[in-house]
Amino acid sequence: MEEDVEDKTNDDVPDTVVEEGEEEKEQQQLVEGQRKTSKYMTKYERARILGTRALQISMNAPVMVELEGETDPLEIAMKELQARKIPFTIRRYLPDGSYEDWGVDELIVEKA
Amino acid sequence: MLDEDCELLYLSDRPEKLILEDIPVPPMAVRPSVLVNGGQSNENDVTSKLKTIIQKDWELLQIEVAQYINSDVRGSPQNQQQSRPLQGFVQRLKGKQGRFRGNLSGKRVEFTGRTVISPDPNLKITEVAIPILMAQILTYPELVSNHNIEKLRQCVRNGPERHPGANFIRDPSGTMIHLRFTSRKRAADELKYGHIVDRHLEDGDIVLFNRQPSLHRIHLRFTSRKRAADELKYGHIVDRHLEDGDIVLFNRQPSLHRMSIMSHRAKIMPWRTLRFNESVCNPYNADFDGDEMNMHVPQTEEARTEALTLMGVQNNLCTPKNGEILVASTQDFLTSSFLITRKDTFYDRAAFSLMCSYMGDGMEPVDLPTPALIKPIELWTGKQLFSVLVRPYAHMKVFVNLTTTEKSYTKSEETMCRNDGYVYFRNSELLCGQLGKVTLGNGNKDGLFSILLRDYSVHAAASCMNRLAKLSARWIGNHGFSIGIDDVQPGKILKDGKDDQIKLGYKACDEIIQEYNQNKLNLLPGCDSAKTLETRVLKALNDLRQSTADVCMKELHWRNSPLIMSQCGSKGSPMNISQMIACVGQQNVNGQRAPNGFIDRSLPHFPKKSKIPAAKGFVANSFYSGLRATEFFFHTMGGREGLVDTAVKTADTGYMSRRLIKALEDLSIQYDDTVRNASGGVVQFIYGGDGMDPAKMEGKDGEPLNFKRLYFKIKATCPRTRAHLNLSPEEASNFVKERLSSLDGRCSKKFKKSLSTFLEGQIHSLKTTREQFLGERNSSGCNEKIAANISGITLQQLQAFLEICITRYHLKKIEAGAAIGVIGAQSIGEPGTQMTLKTFHFAGVASMNVTLGVPRIKEIINGAKNISTPIITAKLKYNNNVKTAEFLKGCIEKTILGEVSKSIKIELTSRKAAIVIKLDKKTIQGSQLGISADSVKRSILQHQKLKLKDEHIHTSDDGKIIISPPETDRNKLHFSLHSLKGMLKDVIVKGLPTAQRVVINHDEKKETYELFVEGTNLRAVMGIPGVDGHDTKSNHIIEVEGTLGIEAARECIINEIQYIMKEYSMSIDNRHMMLLADLMTYKGEVLGITRFGINKMKESVLMLAAFEKTADVLFNASFNGRHDDIEGVGECIIMGIPMPIGTGILKVQQRVEPIPNLAYGMDSLIS
Repeated sequence: MEEDVEDKTNDDVPDTVVEEGEEEKEQQQLVEGQRKTSKYMTKYERARILGTRALQISMNAPVMVELEGETDPLEIAMKELQARKIPFTIRRYLPDGSYEDWGVDELIVEKA
Repeated sequence: MLDEDCELLYLSDRPEKLILEDIPVPPMAVRPSVLVNGGQSNENDVTSKLKTIIQKDWELLQIEVAQYINSDVRGSPQNQQQSRPLQGFVQRLKGKQGRFRGNLSGKRVEFTGRTVISPDPNLKITEVAIPILMAQILTYPELVSNHNIEKLRQCVRNGPERHPGANFIRDPSGTMIHLRFTSRKRAADELKYGHIVDRHLEDGDIVLFNRQPSLHRIHLRFTSRKRAADELKYGHIVDRHLEDGDIVLFNRQPSLHRMSIMSHRAKIMPWRTLRFNESVCNPYNADFDGDEMNMHVPQTEEARTEALTLMGVQNNLCTPKNGEILVASTQDFLTSSFLITRKDTFYDRAAFSLMCSYMGDGMEPVDLPTPALIKPIELWTGKQLFSVLVRPYAHMKVFVNLTTTEKSYTKSEETMCRNDGYVYFRNSELLCGQLGKVTLGNGNKDGLFSILLRDYSVHAAASCMNRLAKLSARWIGNHGFSIGIDDVQPGKILKDGKDDQIKLGYKACDEIIQEYNQNKLNLLPGCDSAKTLETRVLKALNDLRQSTADVCMKELHWRNSPLIMSQCGSKGSPMNISQMIACVGQQNVNGQRAPNGFIDRSLPHFPKKSKIPAAKGFVANSFYSGLRATEFFFHTMGGREGLVDTAVKTADTGYMSRRLIKALEDLSIQYDDTVRNASGGVVQFIYGGDGMDPAKMEGKDGEPLNFKRLYFKIKATCPRTRAHLNLSPEEASNFVKERLSSLDGRCSKKFKKSLSTFLEGQIHSLKTTREQFLGERNSSGCNEKIAANISGITLQQLQAFLEICITRYHLKKIEAGAAIGVIGAQSIGEPGTQMTLKTFHFAGVASMNVTLGVPRIKEIINGAKNISTPIITAKLKYNNNVKTAEFLKGCIEKTILGEVSKSIKIELTSRKAAIVIKLDKKTIQGSQLGISADSVKRSILQHQKLKLKDEHIHTSDDGKIIISPPETDRNKLHFSLHSLKGMLKDVIVKGLPTAQRVVINHDEKKETYELFVEGTNLRAVMGIPGVDGHDTKSNHIIEVEGTLGIEAARECIINEIQYIMKEYSMSIDNRHMMLLADLMTYKGEVLGITRFGINKMKESVLMLAAFEKTADVLFNASFNGRHDDIEGVGECIIMGIPMPIGTGILKVQQRVEPIPNLAYGMDSLIS
């Protein structure tokens, strides 16, 4: 009895998801004009950027700032972020599948 | 069958395919046979089942195959039960140890360690000491680059057995050099008889592991390592030992919240335990009585970075549960701070300087403050030491301003508090107050460390904690602090005082018992006399224990160690102390006094039916004086209840947490500020109604900012100078209005309003002070200055205040990507475990028992249809009148005929047989029931089972009802009369059938009355005239949903959870409750957090399979042809792919510089 009820509710859900999913991939165009998301860099963005950059630096990528004896790639990456010299763009995905591109140097970084 | 029918049946494929024609036979890797010594092989269950399938005859084949897939299938004809049922495929997937939960959702990992933990106050709070032995085994694969090549060469040279060494070198082609043994070639060359060679296959080539006699090894290894170090190139990977500063994850089970696993910096130390600063005990809930903890070493640069920036101790000082600080000083640190800041502690130059150097190991610059006393010798106070601790040198720009009240505060007198309980820091100077747990400890928002964290930086708070840890460990080591038997020996005054108190208490109890025996007891609302006795005696005995405790605390010497510890909050409560010294007190089982284990008595030492305190579990002795045999037995009864309770509730809360996590795991904040689940369904349009991060809230009740404190701080840190302009009230309010109107849309209206109301209040107080001063005399200049001094504000201050408020508000917003669902689930699940042991169950009116604690939370979260104590709180339209309250009580409460009748008698005369009911007019009048014989008649007629008709019942004015049954058969008449009499007793004559009991609650402060209705049927209660339907609430969520709708149900869930938490004095941010309530209601009906509810909330098959009923979910999914988009957290973990939460919500692109337009170029080939 109970299973029947569940099955019926499940019935239409997957179908709609499939259609949306297919459309979504085509819809991913850049949001033109003014961007809506916050101008502050989130801690997740900061972590991701520092991580990616530290990996690059650990693989001998050219460093964009003057070093003062730092050897730890993460420390170097942090220094680069402080100097806003990380050559990355963040692609923020909105739930409808569209996205906004923000340069790392455009975002306000909180000191931490 | 037609294809259309298949579709109707929600079959994805033809039903013929449901018949098994072939059975899957997995390869040997799936069912390995284990070789036992002696050449015998132990076959896997699957293999043995396959064997039986091949051997069995046709008839039993079906059952065997079914059991091959699911061994729980019954129907095997021979009843001889096998010793162990063989494991089928379903059994492999199912359960905690099964494939889904045991191997896919959670995996065993490498690079981990576990040992006993111990404390080390010399470590920073972000550090963890790792034994060298562990550091040599745990490695980090460091890529050789120009930054680190020299360091790694040295590591390689040191090899695996000297500490900053390395275990392996990998080159990009994939070959691995094992540094523990020599390089391949040399090993091969020097291979001798007697060497043992292990062969390993690795990426196609053979690596020889050479075990050699020990003497020879050292030299050999050294030379080859040196060569390996010299040959190290960029791009090689060195698996080097853990070194100081490496990032490790540190964890203690049970991992109830995210602070149970945090990243620390490694510090390699000798010995064999993992050590960390005691300040970090709290988030892990660790102590050092033999606890063990786990450690993990992240293996990539990205993992390290994320661990450090998101999971670091310094980023998790506050709990997202309510924004209170969690990493803070504990135990000895509090004790020593308390003793140092005592009013009468003075230090001379040598001692003070020594203590100053304690806190920074003598390595940090310290500016000595001006001594408090100069003549006859220079002396500094202990409070000045704390000023140094907060701000060691003048260059440090840390100006703490805070006022709090410690435990000992006398509730008035502020800074002149005689117990020195009012803590006042002004510009980092401790002016007064003895520091204790409220200022330095965990679990508050206005403590020293919270303010350092909020007003300055994480670093300021962390380094202050480090300094305090070092200072206090050293200071208390010299000063000494211990507890001995003389600390718990009561003095004569104490003993006499305690005896007096006990005598008094016993006398009070005896009086109550006597009243009870004479039946003179004034009944409490809704209680019978036995219940009244119990509640009153219990209250008297609790008061008794409290009064002995008071005597005890008063008489103790001020240097008594337990007293000091309880005063500063480091350990123990006044009750613990008085239990040791004065009196242990009443032992409760199930919230009642000790129950009767024998006939009418608790123990055979007492007379039967004895109600005296000693016979029902009151322990008058202290732990010091020793318990009598009976007291000891009662104490074990109470103690056992505690143990049982903890054991039972941990299991309950564990399962509850798991369900909560599974239901909420994929909720996260999106970039458009909505809260959505993995498939994009909106749960909240903005998180918590305002989009703020609970971890960062400063004010009470989850307000973003504590304006009062900030205002105070601003006024202290930017003092008025001549140049600054004092604002008049009008100027100030104009300025505020201007600034607030220029705010952009990113500030919520609520915030703007709260800010402006706060400032209006300040401006208003300025106005009144000015009026007072300027009104009295007209000597304007001087008085205006005084007024400004008291509550004036300068333009600069106002400006700074507004700017700080606004910028800080923006930084407190919750960030996109936050896995707010999991945080919410943890914030509700974690306090559940602490609700053990406290088993008091009543709230509000003493006689009204409400289910609380874990069982109640379970009810709410499950969305239970039947709850154990449904209660409707009915507000009255005219709530200041007892009479109306009593009248309405009568209208609501179920009243049966038996209660309101003097007698129900069968009258048999020669002419007729009848039942005569006499109504009890006194009772009816007394409780304003308004029942008359006619109304009783009507209710009897309406009763469904009685089947009496109008003509059978006769009423008379004096409250007499005569019922003559319709039965005519004389033989049956007697029986029918008796059964009728039995049924008549239970006829409901007044009130709602569902309202078992109604209690009038008298609010003494507001002089109002309200009704508590025990029972259901909210709709009927609301509809009763005189009850204020707008304000009537129920605690039954499903009923609220049915009566008032889904939004009311949501509100009800929030309020009910918050109510439970308040009863246990736990504060949880309302936003977590909102999220849970929204999740439970966002589909339009209340869904419980059970497998049925979660089934309706989620679409993912994998996630549901990992939750509960794995086999059923999978079978149904294949039957229906479901597919899974792998969007949620659970699915992503199972599939091993990154999830779109946290750092996974965005993508990072390398920005490539555009190629410059070259002015020159190649000549075109064809011209």
